[in-house]
Amino acid sequence: MRNSEETIEMIMAGLRDAEASPGMEGRILASVEARASERRVATPRWAWAMAMAGVAAALLFIAILSIHRHGQPPAQAQQHVLPAETARDAQPATLLSQKPIEFNKAVAPRRTGARIRSEEAVLLSDLHTPSHPAPEAPLTQEEKLLLRVVHKGDPQVIAMLDPEERARQEAKSEAEFQKFVEQSGKDVHESDQTTE
Amino acid sequence: MASIAGGSLISFATKSVQVEVDLAALVETYSRLLFRVAHSVLRTRAEAEDVVQDVFVRVIERRRSLHAIRDMRVWLVRIAWNLALDRRRRIRPEQMDESFAESLAASAVSAGERLEQAQRMKVVLREMERLPKAERQVLLLSAVEELGTAEMAEVLGRSESAVRALLFRARTRLRERLEARGGER
Repeated sequence: MRNSEETIEMIMAGLRDAEASPGMEGRILASVEARASERRVATPRWAWAMAMAGVAAALLFIAILSIHRHGQPPAQAQQHVLPAETARDAQPATLLSQKPIEFNKAVAPRRTGARIRSEEAVLLSDLHTPSHPAPEAPLTQEEKLLLRVVHKGDPQVIAMLDPEERARQEAKSEAEFQKFVEQSGKDVHESDQTTE
Repeated sequence: MASIAGGSLISFATKSVQVEVDLAALVETYSRLLFRVAHSVLRTRAEAEDVVQDVFVRVIERRRSLHAIRDMRVWLVRIAWNLALDRRRRIRPEQMDESFAESLAASAVSAGERLEQAQRMKVVLREMERLPKAERQVLLLSAVEELGTAEMAEVLGRSESAVRALLFRARTRLRERLEARGGER
């Protein structure tokens, strides 16, 4: 009992009387000032890093905003302004049959609760106006050649398909040739006599 | 009056000097008290000294808001107390108690007696560590003679009566446990 109480008291006295090593104040002061000066030097670097990060974040935000505004026009509007040539490339059979391009007259979905920007308003007004087919595009060189190949009903060609007509035409052509040959021979004989 | 007139002309350097003067005064006034507070928890001089240094680093960090502190002494003690508790979690209790017990027993006459006394102190210190947290903290803080019950209560965030009750319970429990250990032997 007495021993325990004595030991507790000794420990409490030891804690109470604990003394720092001499010169502690000086060491602490020097160390704290050194740390403070380090911080003073380090602060501008930290501030610069923060500023750079802020600028980068601002640039990123602006880039995202501009992509969001201009990079994704509505699908309906894209379909509406599709050039005729692009449509022809996509559907050649339609063009060859000389049919006009069919336009999708889908209506843009209503955006409730959102502020419609001016650019979007223009696009929406375009969508709501009655659409007209694009003017007929001139034929390309290839298309013209194709038309010439598949063209039918030439009277001379049709006539040559008939055997009687063909035989008559051949006989006529043969007679014309003979006449030409005889005429040529007569002309040569007359010239020989004149020379003699 | 002169200081008020020159107040608007205070340069950065002057401010810096002012902080240094204040810091020197603070270190001079409170470092020993803070050392004892930290030492009661850590029981190692070097560690306690590091804690005191950290306290003044905090002071430098918060120098712009120092004017808002109501009681500088309690504020500093509370910082030292919390930093010491934080540091203590990283130190094994046996590590800090062994050298402390040996330093206390050094006053004993013979070597055998010194060894026996050191052994007894280590047992008491171990039992102190096993006390409930609130009781242990009050007991350790009560070892700092400069702190009254009101200041202890403020540091620990308790009422004065609670501190007194905790202190009584801590001493009673510690004594009982030590007697029980003695009886077992």
